[in-house]
Amino acid sequence: MIELIGSLFILAGAVFLFSAGLGLLRMPDAYTRIQAGTKATTLGNMLVLAGLAFYHPGWIFKLILVIYFVLMTNPVSSHALSRAAYRIRTPMTSATMADALAEDDAGGDGAPPEGSARGGPPGERTGR
Amino acid sequence: MPVNGQENRPGFPPQGMVSLWVVLFVVWMAANSTPAIEVALLGAAVTFALAYAFAASSEAWRRIRWTPAGFYHFLAYTGTFLVELVKANLAMMRIVYSPRIDIRPGIVRVRTRLRSPIGRLALANTIALTPGSLVLDLKDDVLYIHWIDVRSTDVEVVSAAMAGSFEEHLEQIFG
Repeated sequence: MIELIGSLFILAGAVFLFSAGLGLLRMPDAYTRIQAGTKATTLGNMLVLAGLAFYHPGWIFKLILVIYFVLMTNPVSSHALSRAAYRIRTPMTSATMADALAEDDAGGDGAPPEGSARGGPPGERTGR
Repeated sequence: MPVNGQENRPGFPPQGMVSLWVVLFVVWMAANSTPAIEVALLGAAVTFALAYAFAASSEAWRRIRWTPAGFYHFLAYTGTFLVELVKANLAMMRIVYSPRIDIRPGIVRVRTRLRSPIGRLALANTIALTPGSLVLDLKDDVLYIHWIDVRSTDVEVVSAAMAGSFEEHLEQIFG
């Protein structure tokens, strides 16, 4: 019985992970793909690990620890990937409505310069 | 919090070190999953050294509030967060499995009230996992967010929609 519950958790997690994979294929541009990947893999991983806890009750603390690590690092990697994609000017889908970041970068007055942390002088970033 | 010229010279123990030590020790014990006394002693020593090194070298750990109110807000935040995470996934599945993907993405601004770096990190991570949003960049108190379905570009409206419910809890925990 307990193993059945665990299996259901793992199955639900697998469904979310599959959706993440499908999202990567179907979404129109890099940013929306990162979105699909981040959210669905986080919940999918959590469910799979929770299901594993039903199979191996002795691992429960380690699994909680792993869940926390996934929860904290997955969004950070999505943040780094999307920021890098934006910095090398990866094109956005034509359905895009607004781009506040480009406005603020172009205006330059409101946003304080942060030197090297922002990816070098503005001239360099037009190269791509 | 002392506001004088001596702030750069950490006393002993550095501010925030004890709480960091406790957290690291709990992580150590969870990773080992054994109540053996040797393991606990070694863990206490190792996590003490780590906590000292980090608390002395960084200000990020100083503002976390270890009060009952902070604990309550942490629980409330966790509950809200899990609900939003499930909602985010269902919304994402609806888009992914629809026959024709019809979305209107865009980058919008969100202004945050949070001051501490860890609070902002937590907010950015939370926003990345809530429905339809992804943090692209962070300048001062403005988060640039890729929103999969732009309904407004007004800073106040977007901030309330995305950060509102989490911000009040995080503000109580991290300041």
